[in-house]
Amino acid sequence: MSRIATVRRAAAVCRTALRPRVTAGLRTRVTAGFTAGALALSTSIALVSYQVARSSLLAERERTAVRAAYLDATVVQSGLAADRPDILEILRSLDTGGNRRAVLHRDGEWYARNLDAGVTSAIPPALQQLAHAGEPVVQRVRAGGQPALVIGVPLAPGTTFYEVDSLIELQNTLRVLAIVLTLVALSTAVAAAALGRHATGYVLRPLGRVTDAAQEITDGNLTARLDPAAEPDLARLTTSFNGMVDQLSARMQRDRRFAADVSHELRSPLQTLEAAASVLARRRDRLDERSATAVDLVNAEVARFQALVNDLIELARSDQPADRSPVDVPDLARQVCRTHGVSPELVTVEEGTERTWLVDRRRVTQLLSNLIENAQRHGGGPSAVRVGTDPDGYLLTVEDEGPGIRPEDREVIFDRFVRGRAAHVRGAGDGTGLGLALVAQHAAAHGGRAGVTDRPGGGARFHVHLPRRDT
Amino acid sequence: MTGVLVIEDDDRIRLSLVLALEDEGYEARGVATAEEGLVEQRSRPAETVLVDLMLPGVDGFECIRRLRRHDGVPIVVVSARDDTHDIVAALEAGADDYLVKPVAIKELSARLRALRRRARAAEPTTDMPTLVFGDLEIVPDAGEVRLRGTPVAVTRTEFRLLCELAQHPGRILSRQQLLQRVWDHTVGDERLVDVHVGRLRQKIEPDTAKPRHLLTVRGLGYKLQR
Repeated sequence: MSRIATVRRAAAVCRTALRPRVTAGLRTRVTAGFTAGALALSTSIALVSYQVARSSLLAERERTAVRAAYLDATVVQSGLAADRPDILEILRSLDTGGNRRAVLHRDGEWYARNLDAGVTSAIPPALQQLAHAGEPVVQRVRAGGQPALVIGVPLAPGTTFYEVDSLIELQNTLRVLAIVLTLVALSTAVAAAALGRHATGYVLRPLGRVTDAAQEITDGNLTARLDPAAEPDLARLTTSFNGMVDQLSARMQRDRRFAADVSHELRSPLQTLEAAASVLARRRDRLDERSATAVDLVNAEVARFQALVNDLIELARSDQPADRSPVDVPDLARQVCRTHGVSPELVTVEEGTERTWLVDRRRVTQLLSNLIENAQRHGGGPSAVRVGTDPDGYLLTVEDEGPGIRPEDREVIFDRFVRGRAAHVRGAGDGTGLGLALVAQHAAAHGGRAGVTDRPGGGARFHVHLPRRDT
Repeated sequence: MTGVLVIEDDDRIRLSLVLALEDEGYEARGVATAEEGLVEQRSRPAETVLVDLMLPGVDGFECIRRLRRHDGVPIVVVSARDDTHDIVAALEAGADDYLVKPVAIKELSARLRALRRRARAAEPTTDMPTLVFGDLEIVPDAGEVRLRGTPVAVTRTEFRLLCELAQHPGRILSRQQLLQRVWDHTVGDERLVDVHVGRLRQKIEPDTAKPRHLLTVRGLGYKLQR
């Protein structure tokens, strides 16, 4: 009933809410959060480590350079103390290794070893002035595109000893350090992303079970429940989920029972009406015209009332599964035709269609019955009843040559209590308005569907597709 | 004996059924309780009994069982209950047919006529020879079934079902074929056949779990094996 449909929809909403949005979104968000956090943290640690390492390495390097420069300056000074000192020779005697280059500025003249010529351009003029004024100076500069340290040691007025110490090795060390720290930061972030993804996956796994249960309920298994013992941390969710499903299924059962009870209660008075009406009908000829008309009305309405109650009881059974057994469908179709006073010759069996189908005999009987009645009521009687197959199952078709069904009505005519417009035109309101709804329901019970199209040449073509089942 | 006994506690239903059945040419009588019905049937046996299931005091199921203890009178259940459980229970208690209220008088009359034909078919005739299936003998001219020489009490419907199967030894008859031939149903309830086969087995098979004569052919129907 409509309540059942609402429940189904609720379960479906619950499922969609749980699956695509929460699972995908939350997981991505948590993973992104983990990654960003880890990246920020590891980057700042790397930056701080780099800065600390760099400044301490530089300071250490500077101290070494200054000490070496002063040592060299002492050597130069003692060399200069001699008579007519050979400055170049003194400079050459210095053990400066590959990194240090020594120059002497004496009385406006630059002295340097051949190898070290040109190094003077690296010494900034401001530094020279400062050293000239007798200040010992240290400055980091770039010499020939490479980092270097200039150390100026005033030896005497007008005499300054400079050493230019290349920092290229330190720079290389720092570069390696920077690369290593960057890699560490990145791999930390990647590890955090993996951890975040795994952790959220782990945490969301119980929700996956909720999703599965919701899906099962949507598919009609109202006994599906979650195991409260499986996930103690989610006990509240499990309990309220199970409680919700309990309530829903109890309500559905109540609704079903109510519909069934009401219909059953109607059956007894209907039996009296039916029997009494038949007694009256037998005496119709002996009644005056007015009474005879009244008897006809009573009989017609009793018949309709009876059909309505039977259809309602059938609808109340809506979610019972199809009770499948092998059924000779062409034979059944001919029988149904006979019971409706229609020639069984109308039944045609498509070539290659197997005779025996695994279907619910009661449901298929009623389905064919209702389609034929519908054709009789609104289409001037069926013009063809076809038993055939389509790619993934069986196909039953009932055609009539009546006015056909307007495209906008093709969906709604399978709803409850919808009667064809044509019926109103003719004033023949003898249907229950449930016939086609039951057709759709019986098709759905088999996992199939019912529909209607135009019949080529005019009229309606109702078709019911039933998927093939082998077991 | 053309009488129909209606056992129905609802006064209006009982009265209307009696009136309508009289119109159809039956000599109908109505009683309100199972107890009255049992007494009535013993003093003035009717040809057919219609029983409602929900009766005060002794219920319909028990009523059917007690009627069955005496003879094979055809019993038709007319009830508002239509769940499988009730239908099977009523048939197992011994009912021959089951109709759900409200039943059209024409339909009821057709079922009663079919029962009468069945009863006639079960009456002794001379035109059919005794059919022998191992230790099982069906004697149409005596209306009798014997298992290892001992007569077995079967109802008329059961006898008719057995004769139908015995006339085609070893051939499979589908439930629908049996419904048509034994019950005259065009579109009927296959549970009728299943329950009657089950009841017959209890009478003619030493081990109902492993029947030797009345075999089920899965998905197709039943056959009687020599």
